Amino acid sequence: MVGMTPAANSEGGPGGGGAGKGKANAAQQATDGSLKRKRGLFNKDLRLMMYGFGDDPDPMPETVHLMEDILIDYITDTVHKSQNVASRRGKLTTEDVMFLVRKDSRKFARVKELLAMNEELKRARKAFDLDEEKLATEF
Amino acid sequence: MGSDADLTDSESEGGFVQAEVSTPVAGPSPSGKGKGPAKPAGGNKSSRKVILREPSPTNDEEGDDEGDAKENDGHGPSGRAVAKGSAGKDDEEEEEENMDHEELGKYQTVDPDKMRAVLATFTPEQMSRYECYRRSGFQRANMRRLLQSVSGGPVSVPMTIVISGIAKMFVGELVEMGRIVMTERNDTGPIRPTHLREAYRRLKLEGKVPQRNRPRLFR
Repeated sequence: MVGMTPAANSEGGPGGGGAGKGKANAAQQATDGSLKRKRGLFNKDLRLMMYGFGDDPDPMPETVHLMEDILIDYITDTVHKSQNVASRRGKLTTEDVMFLVRKDSRKFARVKELLAMNEELKRARKAFDLDEEKLATEF
Repeated sequence: MGSDADLTDSESEGGFVQAEVSTPVAGPSPSGKGKGPAKPAGGNKSSRKVILREPSPTNDEEGDDEGDAKENDGHGPSGRAVAKGSAGKDDEEEEEENMDHEELGKYQTVDPDKMRAVLATFTPEQMSRYECYRRSGFQRANMRRLLQSVSGGPVSVPMTIVISGIAKMFVGELVEMGRIVMTERNDTGPIRPTHLREAYRRLKLEGKVPQRNRPRLFR
């Protein structure tokens, strides 16, 4: 089963390179509905991020791959844990994640800030659209 | 790619890390992507009240451009810095500040003047690194796909935003801890997987990594 899809071939392909084939294959996988872990799901983003946080401008591919593995484990565990404390059946809300992160003050503050900013942006966009409509009707 | 100062990178590392600590920064790009490791909530810039109410097409476009131009950053961390470097550091600063002005009217835990003063003292290498730190983020589509495959159900947009933010902070913690491990071992150059593993182990001891099973004390 693993050998069938073209996406899986990229895993068998040149290793260690961490080539960013993720995106092209991701489009094919979208119709599939399931996520077979392709290499380099976050490659481009992770490299920039690691540079921004203090790594070399050109991080080692092995490090990036390891970082992605750790990150996916982290996200998976966080989501599973928040599902355990989920308030609404079968649906994950941001409150559940916030409950999990409450111990870590930095992350907690960051989450609150992101959500508030999202609200503000939504309001701003709505106001912008309304104003545009008004201008359009005036002419 | 990137800077010419690879040898002095470790030195500027120290300097940069300290600068990071003293200058809390938080504003993400307009797309609301999570950014910023340790900083307290909020924003940076001035007391100029947010002009969200007025239609400001230029500001919005600028914001959208920067938000969507994130993909272009993939060309290399220095790519964008070089493109902007010609315009001068001040323009880049202002553009970033404009971007933050319109979003972070309320969230001001940092004195924007101090922030600007510190930004003015950055070397080009530091500036490009800082820019990468602010602009980098996870692709929402990839994150949503991952979240849906993990949780087994539809995932809301705020959820992807929150998880992306948390994930970015986690990457930051790992990279910073990796650098600490490196300096302890007197290593230079890019972070190697061995440093990353040690950093991960230390974060686990600190309890910042969610553990799956309950700790088995006596096997």
